[in-house]
Amino acid sequence: MKTGIFICHCGHNIKHTVDVGRVREYFSAFPHVALCRDYPFVCSEPGQDMIRESIEKQGLDRVVIASCTPSLHDDLFKDLLRKSRLNPFLLRRVGIREHCSWVGDDLERNTEKAIRLIRAGLYSAAHYVPLEEKQVEVTKSALVLGGGVSGLSAALFLSKMGLQVYLVEKEATLGGHVRSLRDIWPMKRDGEALIEEMEGELRARGTVEIFTSTTLSAFEGSFGNYRATLATPSGGRGVVAGGVIVAIGFTPFDARVKGELNYGRDERIMTTIDFERGAERLSLPDKPRVAILHCVGSRDEQVGRPYCSRICCINALRVGEAVKERYKDSYVECFYMDVRAHPRGGEEFFEETQEKGVLFTRGNIAEIVPGAKGLLLRGEDTLLGEVFEREFDLAVLSIGMGPATDARSLSSLLKITLDKDSFFLEAHVKLRPYDTAVKGIFIAGTCAGPKDTEEAISHGRASAVKLFGFLSPGYAMVDPFIAVVDGKRCSGCRMCERACVAKAIRYDEAKRIAQVEEAACMGCGLCNSTCPSSSIVLRGYVDRAIDDEIGALVEAI
Amino acid sequence: MDEKGAHSLEIIGFACSYCTFKASEMAGSLRMKYPDEVKLIQVPCSSRVDPAFVVKSIFEGADAVFVAGCHPGDCHFIKGNYFTRRKIAALKEMFDTFSMKDKLRLFWVSAAEARRFVEKVTNFCDEIKEAKNAGKRA
Repeated sequence: MKTGIFICHCGHNIKHTVDVGRVREYFSAFPHVALCRDYPFVCSEPGQDMIRESIEKQGLDRVVIASCTPSLHDDLFKDLLRKSRLNPFLLRRVGIREHCSWVGDDLERNTEKAIRLIRAGLYSAAHYVPLEEKQVEVTKSALVLGGGVSGLSAALFLSKMGLQVYLVEKEATLGGHVRSLRDIWPMKRDGEALIEEMEGELRARGTVEIFTSTTLSAFEGSFGNYRATLATPSGGRGVVAGGVIVAIGFTPFDARVKGELNYGRDERIMTTIDFERGAERLSLPDKPRVAILHCVGSRDEQVGRPYCSRICCINALRVGEAVKERYKDSYVECFYMDVRAHPRGGEEFFEETQEKGVLFTRGNIAEIVPGAKGLLLRGEDTLLGEVFEREFDLAVLSIGMGPATDARSLSSLLKITLDKDSFFLEAHVKLRPYDTAVKGIFIAGTCAGPKDTEEAISHGRASAVKLFGFLSPGYAMVDPFIAVVDGKRCSGCRMCERACVAKAIRYDEAKRIAQVEEAACMGCGLCNSTCPSSSIVLRGYVDRAIDDEIGALVEAI
Repeated sequence: MDEKGAHSLEIIGFACSYCTFKASEMAGSLRMKYPDEVKLIQVPCSSRVDPAFVVKSIFEGADAVFVAGCHPGDCHFIKGNYFTRRKIAALKEMFDTFSMKDKLRLFWVSAAEARRFVEKVTNFCDEIKEAKNAGKRA
């Protein structure tokens, strides 16, 4: 056996807390290690060339790359092995950045940890065998969950590229929250018109099927061939989709949760959404006094919303501008924590509203007390450190965004993860912001975190582009990590058959042994750990490899 | 094992690829710190963890072992973690007979819970360290 070990410095990311030179020296003397090298960036072009050259010159039959976490750059290194005419499953990645250099500060101890981790990889790689990836056909169709702007924009792109699209919306009409907006900042467009335009374009395409008042009731299958059951008003309907885009949107913060603000108990206290829909119906005096409260249901640990909702500062500023435009002599005061006018042009808009005469007071409103004459606002000016009481005719609460109500149930159904705030979690913040951990399922729009309309549209489209990239070849390679039975050792006890969740194991009555249906096997390895004689094994994670990994981690250095 | 006892601890953790291992990656990216005694072995699902692996780890000299997977109901393989829960519960009974129940722990960490991962492993490591020191003094 000829193993090559390549240790990445990752610039200074690994090198600064791991003594790479010592690690290299340690492994250079190892039996079966043909060469051990360290390099500033293994993933760079010259780094890749070095690995390729080493494989070809030295005739390596195992490659251990100690670098970032295994899930990063996995395809890149597998491709590299393929190009070097080596089976990609003879590659072992060891994470010494996320799991070693970044989580400890002590050089000595990190170096020792890195040695143990790499040794575990080395020992386990010794049991690797060449595996063949299986090519499966993918269905060129997509299931888009949610008919808001991001869902619509994803569906538009996918259908334009010729994919069959199933668009599912739980409400009776498409458009979500945007439909009810009068004036989308900064486009100055009517939400309804925007939705009608997108919907019209979508309906004109022959490859789109739109389901309204429909929810997802069951979901199974794997990338390329997901089988979804939809609960439509006319009964259940099954569809097959190559991939899924989740764009279920958000729920506006329910201001009634903050009881001290008395929202819902007095007409003069309204949210930015109420204001958007019914500003002209207001009966205000000629010189109205209007208070605008920022961060209602945002950056508030007490109501479980520690994050910034991004859109509400702009909404608050828009309310201020609208009031000032209608009532020249009005008194408008915003109570803010920090003004975060997020998108492009936001800061300029903030300046404009100030010039128009909207006042800004940094402070928290503790209480709104409705009275016969007006609303009494009590709060603290956090710049002056003083408590104040002021009377207003109207209070507008700029409410934040919360996760969609069915985010949790959908996350269980699709097996995708939610973050701590119950928005969907992306696979990687920077490198894979649209993907989920499940292949072929993408997230789009506000269900992945607060966004404004413009961002939601582009997020939807970006996810659609990613999904199209996955589906366009018409086939996909599936990891060959599936269970196989050793017919000689199998006693036919049928324990694995009972355990298998995917129902991929069948008992062969004639041979009296268990048999695995390759296409159905999910590769969890439950059968492997259930089998009393280990005669069914999960490829890529065989018992001996894990046993040796355990040994390598605790063995003395 | 060295004399100071500082390096003498080894904790092996089995982490499922879809939840706990992802959380550990995130903990790394966020530069959170946890004891270097903790070393992870990646498995596709926590149900891949044969109780024999846990026993083997202890035999080989690990001071403690933890198995960590997705929260109940969130298993990527639908219900693999329920099997894990039962297996580990049975194994704990066995460990109890040898008065080493504390050396084995099972917990759930989702892919988003980097902080929870760090808290869990740090607390576990501290407990094991303390128990070991108490044993030395006695």
